Amino acid sequence: MAKVNTTDYCNEQVLIAGLIAGDDCAFCEIIKRFQHTMLIVARAITGDTFADDVVQDAWVAIYKNIAKFEQRSSLKTWVMTIVSNEAKARLRRESRKVSLDELDGEVPGSYLDGANFTSDGHRSSPTPSWRSESPEELLEEKQLQHCINKTLNILPPAQKAAFILRDIEQESFDDIGNILQVSAANVRVLVHRARLTLLQVIDRFQETGTC
Amino acid sequence: MLTDNRNVIKKHLLSCKDVAHLASDYLDKNAGNKLNWKIRLHLLMCSCCRRFMRHLKITQQIAPQLIKKSEHEMDAGFVLQHIKDRTNISQG
Repeated sequence: MAKVNTTDYCNEQVLIAGLIAGDDCAFCEIIKRFQHTMLIVARAITGDTFADDVVQDAWVAIYKNIAKFEQRSSLKTWVMTIVSNEAKARLRRESRKVSLDELDGEVPGSYLDGANFTSDGHRSSPTPSWRSESPEELLEEKQLQHCINKTLNILPPAQKAAFILRDIEQESFDDIGNILQVSAANVRVLVHRARLTLLQVIDRFQETGTC
Repeated sequence: MLTDNRNVIKKHLLSCKDVAHLASDYLDKNAGNKLNWKIRLHLLMCSCCRRFMRHLKITQQIAPQLIKKSEHEMDAGFVLQHIKDRTNISQG
């Protein structure tokens, strides 16, 4: 079993030096840090079937090539680009023509569909009021946390990937575009759709107290 | 003349649906000056869209914090061993 120690790798330069030196602890650190997001990126490109395999292949590629990492991007962007390339290569091997657009059609009942707006673009009903608009109070709501996580898991994969890379991982739209192989403008659309879906979850929670 | 002026103004005004489409670009400061100005003008006049924009901003703020990054503990040592095994196999 690989040896794991407790070195602190908060500093990215120290972490990269550790990786290049072949330190198991440094590698475990990036596995913990990136594995979850890598799976989300792989699922966005290949769908569920090949995502686990793609991530494993990506880890092997990272392990073999870490010494060649030239630090022209952040470590995270480099790792995500590798998993994205592995996913695309896998798609080619499987000869499947799956695009993000196919994977990521408009979610039924999405905020921007006909129900919320009249034909001339006015709102068909007023924006619902919320019982609480305090972020601090909302963050304390366990049921809301459950609803948000549940909804995140049923978002179309590309929307979920774009949302997580942008709003959680704080990647730039351009970098996300490179990782997911779509334009930055399309990334903005994906992130916006995801936010609107989550907004509707909060709307419903405020109204009913449930998902 | 008055009708002409109204038509010109109407042409430059955004609808609520336009604002809903552009809301993230506005919050992320990606809308550009002209569009920003149009959105602000709409928000001045429309309390529903002001509320919507406020709610979207709160969503953007709290949703990432409510999302659990990983649902289960991962054994990174085990994953690393697996990577090493595969690397040795492919090199051998």
